Amino acid sequence: MLAALSVELRKLNRSLAAVLAVAAPSLIAIFAFFNLLRADKAPPWAMFLQASTGIWAYFMLPMSVTALTALVAHMEHGPRSWDHLRALPVPRWRLYAAKAVCVIGIVVIMTALNLVLTFGAMSLAGTIKPAVAPIGDPDLSRLALLNAKVVAAALLLIAIQFWTAVRFSSFVPALALGIGGTFFSVVATSAKEGVFFPWQMPVNMLAREAWRIDTALALGGGLGLVALIAAIAHLARREVL
Amino acid sequence: MSVAIETEGLSRRFGPRLAVDGVAMTVPERAVYGFLGRNGAGKTTTLKMVLGLIRPTFGAARVCGLDVARDRIGAARKVGALLEAHGFYGNLTGRENLALTATLLGCPTREIDRVLEVVEMRPDAGRKVAGYSLGMRQRLGLARAMLGAPPVLVLDEPTNGLDPDGIADMRRFLKSLPERTGATVLLSSHLLGEIEQTATHVGVVNDGRLVLEGELSRLKADLAPEIVLRTGDDARSAALLRGHGLNVRVADSLTVALDLGDAVDPAVAGLTALLVEAAVPVFAIGPRARSLEDIYRRVAVPTVRQAEAA
Repeated sequence: MLAALSVELRKLNRSLAAVLAVAAPSLIAIFAFFNLLRADKAPPWAMFLQASTGIWAYFMLPMSVTALTALVAHMEHGPRSWDHLRALPVPRWRLYAAKAVCVIGIVVIMTALNLVLTFGAMSLAGTIKPAVAPIGDPDLSRLALLNAKVVAAALLLIAIQFWTAVRFSSFVPALALGIGGTFFSVVATSAKEGVFFPWQMPVNMLAREAWRIDTALALGGGLGLVALIAAIAHLARREVL
Repeated sequence: MSVAIETEGLSRRFGPRLAVDGVAMTVPERAVYGFLGRNGAGKTTTLKMVLGLIRPTFGAARVCGLDVARDRIGAARKVGALLEAHGFYGNLTGRENLALTATLLGCPTREIDRVLEVVEMRPDAGRKVAGYSLGMRQRLGLARAMLGAPPVLVLDEPTNGLDPDGIADMRRFLKSLPERTGATVLLSSHLLGEIEQTATHVGVVNDGRLVLEGELSRLKADLAPEIVLRTGDDARSAALLRGHGLNVRVADSLTVALDLGDAVDPAVAGLTALLVEAAVPVFAIGPRARSLEDIYRRVAVPTVRQAEAA
């Protein structure tokens, strides 16, 4: 498994994955920076950082997963390298699992970067305009736990996007699915039914009602893990014609 | 005779279409086996089943005695493959591409240098594959297939898209492979000339069926001999020879088909005597060298044409 992971990382290292990993959270940080500069009074740290997590969870995370899974899949679809990889004396599930692990790993890094970059952007805005320098305790441990739950709840949408991107050699089905899912996540963010909608499960980690958090986490994380294993098993078993 | 690849009743159905129909192929060890057939005849589907990339509907494929369906990984350890789609990462160098496969195979780094040396690609190994010519990609593909020195190489249309020099290089290279590396080579092609100059054994697939297989030299020897003549009057010569009950064909040249087992020299002498007696000038006469094309034309007739003929 380590060999397959090492190969995936070397391929990703020479792709534009790093640009994507930095660009998406940077956009939220830039938005937070200018938004804070427009403010009249100093907001609490927790409010802005949680808002940043919210934007990440309902919009930027699903979009990033869509782009990232498409990128990882097209590293093989583009040069038509599946036949070569699948003919090697390596259990096929490892090839797909390595890709899935890389996607999850990058999502974790992007989620952490979102927090770090937003923190940095707010600090910078506070330095430039001391009147809006955030106040209070940022409570980073609580935010870290919240972000960890966001990533865990995103497992189901990652599994769905990953399977679609790898299953279809055209990027259109995966993009259409990702854009559609994100669209409904944005326009119906507060819908109670959203707790059952994979693209809204991450943002439900910020809900006030405990049942919504628990349900979205159980479905997104638990069912997501099962779905990811099933997706890998199916991809490894199916024939690529 | 040890066998490197063996298939038994190998069949594959895609919906209503039987793409491969009961192929029983035997590739002896250290042979260069040319797998011939028209485009769409079932060559690539057969190779994909040998490589375990697709499952047979019926039948089995064995590589070095290992059943591909039961022990895909064990069989895959014995095979290096060059497929029609190379699957190289254009943003990586040739060496980096090889290194990825070497890592998955668990090969040491020196193995990369060895295979680069074999295909004479060391000077270009540091360049990105996106800048490679098709010929260089084919050679890099061969190098990748040889990583770990597998005893069997499966090459799908290895001369596809190559220029004449590239084809000649590839031909020389493939011909020398069994001697240099001890490997068995199974190569598919629709180019008769290439197979004829490279292969020691051939298998002809037609509409999914293996219609002929064997050692090339023996298959040629098994063909009935033909004598080609150049005379002062081909029409008169043809009529004269037909009058003696001979099977005469007049196309580009005047050709007399003998029966299987007929000795060529006495036939040449007899034909010459007949024509000279009839005062027909004979400029040249001799046996026609039998080619793979002669063998192929006899067996590879599309089903549609067979049906029409019936």
